[in-house]
Amino acid sequence: MSAPLLTATGVHKNYGNTQALRGVDFAIEAGEIVAVTGPSGCGKSTLLHCLAGLLSVDAGEIRYRDQDIGLFSEAARSRLRRSDFGVLFQFGQLVPELTAAENVALPLLLSGSGRKGAREAALGWLDRFGVADLADKRPGAVSGGQQQRVAVARAMVTEPKVVFADEPTGALDQLNGEQVLGAMVRVAREQGTAVVLVTHEATIAAYADREISLRDGAVDPTGLGVAP
Amino acid sequence: MRFSTLVRLSLAGNRTDRLRTVLTAGSAALAAVFLLAAASVASVRGGDLLVDPTGMADRSPGSEQYASPLLMEAGLRPGVIFALVMLALPALALAGQCIRLGAPARDRRLAALRLGGATPGQAVLIAGAETAVASLLGSVAGLGIFAVLRQVLDPRSADGRLWLPVDVVPDPVLVAVAVLLVPLLAGAIGVLLMRRVVITPLGVVRRVREKGPGPWPGVLILIGLPAFVGPELVPDDGNGPDWNVPEWAPLVSMGVGALLVMTGVVLGVGWISYTAGRLLRRFGRGPATLLAGARLMADPWNGSRTLGALLGALVFGAGTLGFRAQLAADFEASERYSRMVDPARGGSGQDNEFYFGAIRLVMVAVAVAMVVAAAGVLVAFVEGIVARRRAYAALTATGVPRRTLRAVLLWHTFVPLVPAVLLALGAGTALFRMTGTEVRSGGGGTYETCVDPVADWATCAKQTLVEPLVVVPVPIPFGGLALLGAGALVAMLLVVGVGAAVLRSSTDLEELRAG
Repeated sequence: MSAPLLTATGVHKNYGNTQALRGVDFAIEAGEIVAVTGPSGCGKSTLLHCLAGLLSVDAGEIRYRDQDIGLFSEAARSRLRRSDFGVLFQFGQLVPELTAAENVALPLLLSGSGRKGAREAALGWLDRFGVADLADKRPGAVSGGQQQRVAVARAMVTEPKVVFADEPTGALDQLNGEQVLGAMVRVAREQGTAVVLVTHEATIAAYADREISLRDGAVDPTGLGVAP
Repeated sequence: MRFSTLVRLSLAGNRTDRLRTVLTAGSAALAAVFLLAAASVASVRGGDLLVDPTGMADRSPGSEQYASPLLMEAGLRPGVIFALVMLALPALALAGQCIRLGAPARDRRLAALRLGGATPGQAVLIAGAETAVASLLGSVAGLGIFAVLRQVLDPRSADGRLWLPVDVVPDPVLVAVAVLLVPLLAGAIGVLLMRRVVITPLGVVRRVREKGPGPWPGVLILIGLPAFVGPELVPDDGNGPDWNVPEWAPLVSMGVGALLVMTGVVLGVGWISYTAGRLLRRFGRGPATLLAGARLMADPWNGSRTLGALLGALVFGAGTLGFRAQLAADFEASERYSRMVDPARGGSGQDNEFYFGAIRLVMVAVAVAMVVAAAGVLVAFVEGIVARRRAYAALTATGVPRRTLRAVLLWHTFVPLVPAVLLALGAGTALFRMTGTEVRSGGGGTYETCVDPVADWATCAKQTLVEPLVVVPVPIPFGGLALLGAGALVAMLLVVGVGAAVLRSSTDLEELRAG
């Protein structure tokens, strides 16, 4: 077995006096799809945000390719998110004023790519997720499911090593949700991209190779939702 | 990030963003016109006072084509330039308010860009570029407006002389400074306004101050008042007045003192707002006072940001009224003294109308500044209501009457405004009262005169007389101050009136279903 791509060791995160994470250990290998499950408020999203470098941890460390990302500057973590990481949320991640193609091209443009090349790449990714015909539409003009496909295309456009998906189908009906997730998992497997998938739905977690369960900010070793 | 990407991301926006761009550009254009007018006056040459060896006074050529001494006399032109630059300040403050327009939507957009991988520096660059581009477009438009006005406006006096310096082409360096200064300052204001805003990929965090502001800006006022008359406080060693004070020192000292006092007043509004909010929450009897008090305490610096230009204009206006009162007392003392020493002449015969005319012009400039500043407050006020429209709609939905929300606006605006206006007027008045509360003329001791007034001075019999002393108290211009203060309050009442109209549409329950 190869060394893990991303690891979290003894991660603690507090919001004021509330302990969101209490010594969480986690590891994911290249190309692996891991679901993080648990009831509302157990710390799933906080763990994902810490893993993606969106939040800093209070104790413990998160290592990507054996580098402690806690030591990275905010700008370096931003660069990581537009090169090696892709991030996907339930909603709200698309820039409403940009077209679908511009949204997908955004990480490439921010990295210094030319508009023409970035648009061509974006169109290719929109096509892979079946929404190429929406390229020049703004997010407000398309359905929730289509918006989420555009968001998945944006998360994948840089061919990241890890995609972090926080309840990516939470705002969609079951059929749309399964279509979006099915497409994302298919492409991730083709690309060899690891996926950390936060969800509280068993049908969504079933797409993963492995599942870890959180309860009250700690990994539930039984995976049955019982507090340690 | 390439420049073209920066431009595209800066220009991406909704209707509110476009409105912000237009208003920012408009206020930048206004500021540029004032600055270019100042550059024109600065480019006028001639009019220096020349005294030849025989004692004959004349003026250097170059400005004789102007009808107004304000342009003709080199000594008076710096005052005109200063007034025009002062007029540009409220226009810049208006630009500052416009930059805040639609801030919540823009912040959400920037957060989405951060989520897409933009670094914090890139997010600030995108926001700054938007402001700078809008301001630059505005100041270039201002240059165009200025060029057109130079062609169109050509008022002349009866003898064909010019009232405005339309014959002068401003120095290119000054034009460049006037055009570039506005975007630079607007960009700086934009960055300043965003300094407490952290755009994270998960949203926008506004750092909340845990402790309320203290009364420390009062120290600035206390330092500014003596600084205003600084050189006069240097003890005279008997070798003549101001023996060790450079010529420029009084003017610089006055400027620094006035600036410190204005800054103290503007920043002091933070403490006034916080204290007023605390008192409202403690002693208020209804939901309106409770809500207004909570909002004042939650963002006490809102008053400093929105009312800054208005209060600055009030300090300046009150100072000008104080100067006018002192000048009037000075003239009266000279007049009375002349009458006492030479009753036959019946007074000094001095024509003072020119000086009072110049002061009237300054007061007109103050009024214009107040109108521009009130426009800035209006933009901020409406923006505040629109940004909270969902919260207002939710309050209405839960049964809070609209009249209560209107009362919140009134309390929130006027509770800190009234003491702030009084502080501004008081500080402005105190500036000139620092130079003295009375004017003295004569009283220099004894002097000799001929017993027979028509006799020859060399041979006449002399008598020693005591020089009369005339003391005229400088009155506090209560009437003018009341008018100035009332003008500010009426302007703000109009702003609240417009705000109440916007509030009506913003509390529509449809807002709860939107977006």
